[in-house]
Amino acid sequence: MKFIVSSSQLLKHLNYINGVITTNPVVPILENFLFEIEKDSLTVIASDLNMSMITELEIDCNETGSIAVPAKILIETLRNLPDQPITVSIDLDTYSLEISSDNGRFRLACENALDFPKVPEVSNASSINISTEALANAITNTIFATSSDELRPAMTGVFMKLSETNTTFVSTDGHRMVRYRRVDVASDEESSIIIPRKALNMLKNSLPAENTNVNIEFNPSHAFFRFDKIRLICRLIDERYPDYENVIPLDNNNLVVIRKSDLLSSLKRISIYANKSTNQVRFKITGSELQISAEDLDFSNEANERLSCMHDGEDIEIGFNAKLLIELLNNLQSAEISIKLSEPNRAALIIPKEMGDNEDILTLAMPVMISSR
Amino acid sequence: MGALKLFNTTDAVSRSVLHMDLDAFFVSVECLRDRRLSGRPLIIGGRSDRGVVAACSYEARTFGVHSAMPVKLALQLCPDALIISGDMEAYSRFSGMVTEIIRESAPMFEKASIDEFYLDLTGMDRFFGCYQWASELRHRIMKETHLPISMGLSINKLVSKVATGEAKPNGQAQVVKGEERSFLAPLSVRKIPMIGKKTADFLYEMGITRVNTLCEMPVEMLEAALGKNGRILWNRAHGIDNSPVVPYVERKSISTETTFENDTIDVKKLRSVISGMTEKLAFLLRKENKLTACISVKIRYSDFETVSRQSRLSYTSSDRVLIGRALDLFDKLYSKRLMIRLVGVRLSELAYGSYQISLFDDTEEEIRLNDAMDRMRIKYGASVLTRASSIFADPATQHADTQELYKSF
Repeated sequence: MKFIVSSSQLLKHLNYINGVITTNPVVPILENFLFEIEKDSLTVIASDLNMSMITELEIDCNETGSIAVPAKILIETLRNLPDQPITVSIDLDTYSLEISSDNGRFRLACENALDFPKVPEVSNASSINISTEALANAITNTIFATSSDELRPAMTGVFMKLSETNTTFVSTDGHRMVRYRRVDVASDEESSIIIPRKALNMLKNSLPAENTNVNIEFNPSHAFFRFDKIRLICRLIDERYPDYENVIPLDNNNLVVIRKSDLLSSLKRISIYANKSTNQVRFKITGSELQISAEDLDFSNEANERLSCMHDGEDIEIGFNAKLLIELLNNLQSAEISIKLSEPNRAALIIPKEMGDNEDILTLAMPVMISSR
Repeated sequence: MGALKLFNTTDAVSRSVLHMDLDAFFVSVECLRDRRLSGRPLIIGGRSDRGVVAACSYEARTFGVHSAMPVKLALQLCPDALIISGDMEAYSRFSGMVTEIIRESAPMFEKASIDEFYLDLTGMDRFFGCYQWASELRHRIMKETHLPISMGLSINKLVSKVATGEAKPNGQAQVVKGEERSFLAPLSVRKIPMIGKKTADFLYEMGITRVNTLCEMPVEMLEAALGKNGRILWNRAHGIDNSPVVPYVERKSISTETTFENDTIDVKKLRSVISGMTEKLAFLLRKENKLTACISVKIRYSDFETVSRQSRLSYTSSDRVLIGRALDLFDKLYSKRLMIRLVGVRLSELAYGSYQISLFDDTEEEIRLNDAMDRMRIKYGASVLTRASSIFADPATQHADTQELYKSF
């Protein structure tokens, strides 16, 4: 069996899905791409058992067959090959694949396609459509706040909740939380799923720049994303998501409004002087002044800065982990933000002043206990 | 030669190091707290059968009692001795008072242990005599804290420490520069720090009893007999010690262990003891405004086989997290159906910081409760209140010999 394909085209498609393949998969066959050839179309599948990604491209061929090709060798060969049409010949009896190029011939030992795990089907699925722009925004706004603690699987993914009026994306690591809501995506039936971080990362990297439509189908165990010529199917995290609405304080009346860039750059400077492993900084808000300070007792380093802000409420002192706060602020796209506080040991709400037309963003940071000195 | 004078090397290495040591520190504190105790043979240590002497008064020492000796044996030597179980908290409070006075006065100091200090006074003799200055500091400490303290002054830590030992109790001594060798020469080799009973016995067998003899031996011979330590020993015998006064030694871990009066197999009791010890350590951590990233649990079976296991955490000082993890570790560790003699808990990888409140695990009530508990402990002492689950299942074990260890390395 033989087909002709552009080397750069093939590489581009493989790059979309290559991230799925793990370095040390449970079953060795998963180090391969599955090539399925059917007349003029080549379907390539990568999988890590929890998720699979499928891409399709047009080729010149008139036969049918499939084979599993070692991913690493193939990708490296294509990366180092100048752009040109290449001829790929596959021998299904000896499981080998040969690439003929202007530069020479490369023969790869392949494996039987039948050993490659079947990609699951999604049955009894609900379906929604979302624009790539909305999905990309939802992912970038939430994914950074997910947890890496494997002992609490629910928090390693992003929670997506559909309702009749809106769709909510939530992420948290137990110390901070992001709730990203869109009113331009809705579904007649209420449902919720937890999508693993890896799947969302893969999606983010392969979403096209031009705004098109992404179709999401899901049942309680799997979700299926489809756009352009790419499909992604992943197993969902089957856990109960923490009760996030319950921890959002409603009576935070101590309001601070401040320029985001001022606060962010101040935090970046001050945190240099905080303890490197705990990154704790102290906010002291008096009148219309915010004083940020940090000290590292091990090295006797200390720093403090004063920023002017709009403040409505009692004077307060509260401690935060600067690293978490910097990440949070970095992901907000607003010139001004409001910080709503209540007490030094209760959650602080951080809300961007300006949001997109259909967006509603709320973030929350838990303070660190500070000793009143 | 004129150029050489500029870099007067002898002057650069000529240091003035002061060693200060509180005399029978734990005993002195007890006497301060109860006047009736002074002048009596006192032993500080566990009351139980297996307790060891942590400290003893000079009166008890005349009977041959010394620290690290089993209390049982000490009582045979000195049946009239009074046994006090000791109050680490009070000791560290008094130690802190002394430290503060030294911090105020000295340019640079090292706190070597709870009752020992090294001060680097190099250069201060240009203004007023080092010895005069040190002597005034010593008297100030005695006047303000009422604790007896001895000191020794010389050109390095080693000789100063030996000098303090010679000056004790309640005295002061100076070894003038150049006199180090003649000062050490007539002393017993046991007086040199690092020579313990084992090394001393070994040296006695070789016929070495005085430092002088050690000095006269060729260094190669000592190296052949004692390995790497031979040369260090030889240097020490000559009064050579270049180790610097290290200003501040950060405490790298805190730990505590409990030896049971009777070996036990009662898992409920063991878990409760571990939970209590962890709670105590966690409070200590919070009091110093620190967090830990590593907890380890140790058990010693009755056959003295000792096993330990550790677990990493994200920085925390929460009772709930630490106790939970300690008990988990214990369950994994306790695999043999054998009696247990000792359990220990240790928190390491400490860093400055306060507890990061969790969104879902901490309730506001819990945060407030813990805060209130800590306030009470700070005001009335660490043992004023504890979790019910940490109260030992068997009242007999309340006398178990619990020792807190502060380690810096």
